Amino acid sequence: MMTIDLALQSDIYLNYLAIVGGVLGFAGMVLGVMTIFGKDVSSIWRTYRGWLIMIPLVMGTIFLGRTAVIVGVALLAIFGFKEFARATGLYDDWWLTGLVYLGIIALAVASFVTDPRLGYPGWYGLFMSLPAYVAGAILLIPILRNRAKGQLQQVALAVVGFIYFGWMFSHLGFLANTKYAYGYILYLVLAVEINDIAAFTCGKLFGKRKLRENISPNKTIEGSIGAICVSLIIPWLLWFSFPHFEPWHLVLTGLIVGVGGQLGDLVISYIKRDIGIKDMGAVIEGHGGILDRVDSMIFVVPIFFHVVRWVHGIR
Amino acid sequence: MTEWEYHPAPDIDETMAEHLRNFPRQPYMFMYALRSMAALLLRGWMRLYHRLRIDGREHLPASGSFILVCNHTSHLDTLCMLCAMPLNKIHRTFPAAAADYFFSSLPRSAVSAILINALPFDRQVNGAESLTVCSHLLNTEGNVLIIFPEGTRTTTGEMQRFRSGIGRLVVATRLPVVPCYLDGGLKAWPKGKLWPRPYRLHLRIGAPVSYEQLDESSESVRKICHDLQSRVAELGEIAQ
Repeated sequence: MMTIDLALQSDIYLNYLAIVGGVLGFAGMVLGVMTIFGKDVSSIWRTYRGWLIMIPLVMGTIFLGRTAVIVGVALLAIFGFKEFARATGLYDDWWLTGLVYLGIIALAVASFVTDPRLGYPGWYGLFMSLPAYVAGAILLIPILRNRAKGQLQQVALAVVGFIYFGWMFSHLGFLANTKYAYGYILYLVLAVEINDIAAFTCGKLFGKRKLRENISPNKTIEGSIGAICVSLIIPWLLWFSFPHFEPWHLVLTGLIVGVGGQLGDLVISYIKRDIGIKDMGAVIEGHGGILDRVDSMIFVVPIFFHVVRWVHGIR
Repeated sequence: MTEWEYHPAPDIDETMAEHLRNFPRQPYMFMYALRSMAALLLRGWMRLYHRLRIDGREHLPASGSFILVCNHTSHLDTLCMLCAMPLNKIHRTFPAAAADYFFSSLPRSAVSAILINALPFDRQVNGAESLTVCSHLLNTEGNVLIIFPEGTRTTTGEMQRFRSGIGRLVVATRLPVVPCYLDGGLKAWPKGKLWPRPYRLHLRIGAPVSYEQLDESSESVRKICHDLQSRVAELGEIAQ
C-alpha cells in the first residue's frame, strides 16, 4: 500500500529519491561542464529539461500514494491512447474513442475499488475481465449506428488501442495495491529508462549489425544485447526494492525489462512507420509524445506483474 | 489484402501551446466537453449575476453560416452573444478576438481557445490575412462568426466608427449579417477593471440583413459599414 506517511517511512522510496536526484544532478553538472568547454549540447539540454519536469512529476505522484498513482497511470493511458487515435485517424470516430476512454477509466476504477469477495484493495477479477467487456462493446458500435463501411479498421484500431495502451499499461496502476508497491513501481520506471539509455549508448558505441532494419533502422543487435546485459545487472543493484526475491527472480526480472523494454519500443516503431509519422506527438519537449516516452513500459509492466503474481502473489 | 489508409491528424507534431494558438483548430473531445460545461456555467452566471435579458433570439438564422456584429463596450459582449447562441452551435461559433491580447500568453490562449472558441484576429499587422481566415471559416456551412466592427472596446460609451473590415468580409462571403446591441456592458465591466460588477445586461438581436445585391467595390464596403452601424445604433436606441 502507498500513502504519504508510508512514503516518508519507506527506505525504498527515499533510496530511489536519492538515486534519481543524484543522477539528475550529476547529469546536469556534466552538461554544464560540457557547455563551459564550448560543446554544442543544446539538443541534450532540451531532453534534460524534459526529464527535469517528468521526474518530479513521477516521484511526486508516487509520493502522494495509491490513488495518485492509479489516477496518474490512467491519465497517461488516456493521453497515450489519444496520441495513437490521432495518429491513426481513429480520433475522428468520437464514439469509439470515447468508449476506449471509458474503458480506461473502468480499469482505473477496478484497480482502485476493494475486491467485493476477497476484501483486498484492487478488484483483480474485474480488471482482468474488462478487455472482454470493452472489446465486446467496441464491436457493437457499428451495429448501433448501422454502418459497415470502414468499420473493421476502426473497430480493430480501437481494440488494439484499448488492450495495448489501456489494459496492458494500466497493470502499472494495479501494482500500487501490492505490499511492495514502492519497490515494484520505482524499479520498473527506473530500470526501463536505464534499459532505453543503455540500448542507445551501446548501439552508438558498438553498433554494427541492424536489429530490424525495416522497422527501426537505428537499432542494432549490439545495442540490444548491451541493453539486456545492463538490465540483467540492475536488479542486483536494486535488490533492496524487492528483498523477498531469490536470485533467479532477479535474473528473470532483468530479462523481462531488457527484452520487454526493447519489444515495446519496436512495437511503437512499426506502428509509427506504418502510419508514416516520426513522433506520436509533441507534448514533452525533446522527447516527442507521451507514447514515445512510455512505449518501453507497455510490454514490461504486464509481464512483470504476472510473473510476480505467479511467484509471490500480488498482495 | 487491401492496405489500410491512415489519416493522421494534421496537427500531430504541434505542442500544446501551438494547438491553442493556431487556427483553424482541430476538434478535440476534451475541448468540446470543457467548452460545453463552461457554456452552461456561463449561462447560469449571466442570468443570476447580470440578469441578462435577450430579445430577438428568433432572428438568429436556424441554419447556414452568418455573421453577428455588435457594439463593443466590454468583454461581456462576447459572453452575452455566446449565451444567445443555441448550445449545440457553440462549437461552431467563433468570436474574432484580438490576437495581441487574447492569445498573448499560454493561460490566456487556453481560456480563449477552449472556453470562448475564439478566432485569433491579428488587428495590427495582418488584418487582411485575418479577414481571409474569417471568410475561409465562413465557407463551411453552419459556422458563425462574431465580430466587433469597432475594433476595440469603447471607453466613453459612444459607439465608434465601424472599420471597413466587416464590409470587405460581407462582400467577399455574401452572407447575412445579424446586428446586435448590448446595453449595460460599459457600466458592468468598463475597460481596465479586473472584475465585472453585477449590473443588468440587455442584448437585443436585430433581423438579419443581406447585402447580396451589392458588388465588391469600395463604395459597397462603405455602404455596408454605414448601414450596419446605423442598424446597431437603432437597436441601441430601442434597448435604452
